Amino acid sequence: MAPAARYGRSRRAGWGRHRIGVWQTGTDFGSERADGITRAVIAMKGLLALPASEARYYTASVDDAGRALDGRCGYRLTGGALPARWWSVTLYGPDNFLVANDAGIFSVVSTELPTAEAASWAIAVAPTRQPGHWLPTGGVDRFDLTLRAYLPDDGGTGNPTAAQLPRIERLECGR
Amino acid sequence: MRAWMAPLAVGAIVAVAAFHIGVGAVPRGLMSVATGRIAQAGGINHMAFAPLATDRSRLVVRPSPDLAYASCPFDLAERPLLIEAAAVDAPYWSLSVFDGRTNAAFVRNNLQARNAPMRIALVRPGQPAPAGVEAVTVPTRRGIALIRILIPDRAAFAAIDAARRASFCRSL
Repeated sequence: MAPAARYGRSRRAGWGRHRIGVWQTGTDFGSERADGITRAVIAMKGLLALPASEARYYTASVDDAGRALDGRCGYRLTGGALPARWWSVTLYGPDNFLVANDAGIFSVVSTELPTAEAASWAIAVAPTRQPGHWLPTGGVDRFDLTLRAYLPDDGGTGNPTAAQLPRIERLECGR
Repeated sequence: MRAWMAPLAVGAIVAVAAFHIGVGAVPRGLMSVATGRIAQAGGINHMAFAPLATDRSRLVVRPSPDLAYASCPFDLAERPLLIEAAAVDAPYWSLSVFDGRTNAAFVRNNLQARNAPMRIALVRPGQPAPAGVEAVTVPTRRGIALIRILIPDRAAFAAIDAARRASFCRSL
């Protein structure tokens, strides 16, 4: 499939960012083209971000129903093959750093997935250990998820469609 | 009514100007802070090899725990800087150079380099480039060069860590 058909349009989310479903991204990270506000936001929330040709960054702070991601809840993150050489999903706390957890797990990388799961995978995002791929929330009040897609197939000129980006379904919530 | 229109307009102009000045200062300020923090580990114009990021990592916001970072905070005030990134047995590794405004002045990954070591010299505009080395012009005096290595499995880190330590940066 040609890159043009694999990538879709996004809509402006303000502050130099674009929204695709629940995921927000920017187009000019690490680039001379970045406007002042984009540059300031990235300096605060993603200093030393790579330019789009090398990596695309997508961040979600709400689930598919628009509710803020809550570390006391369980979520099912599902997706398929992304138009990039490899990708990772990382969980960050409100302070923009990794969240402490007993398992010492902070992300899931596509290279960890068996080949059979490459086209359809699921990650449990939850405060307690889950079977399969598990991304601990550490029980924090709020968190967000960053999807990094390295070496995008289109050289960083576009974005995956909302259907291509992972879905975030909230399951049960503890106290 | 006209009496307070002028001060209001001036106030609005000052507020807008202050906003833009502030927004413009944030990247330089945070880049300077990050450069200083990284330099505490190994000094300016020296490569520092960080362990894999955990919740205790506080040098730079939103670190990737899947990547092994090696960073060289640089200052080109006096001389160009030579950087060499050693080839490592990892699916992805790259060398990038960020100027003091957070712009990437250079990015190259292992696929583009065909898994060969990378060797570049950072120079300021007008600074003579050393012979025999690919020169990269950086518009600001200070910045950070960064090597990222994908660690496919944390058990592989020890071997990759040993290999990456052949990477270096130094003033010419």
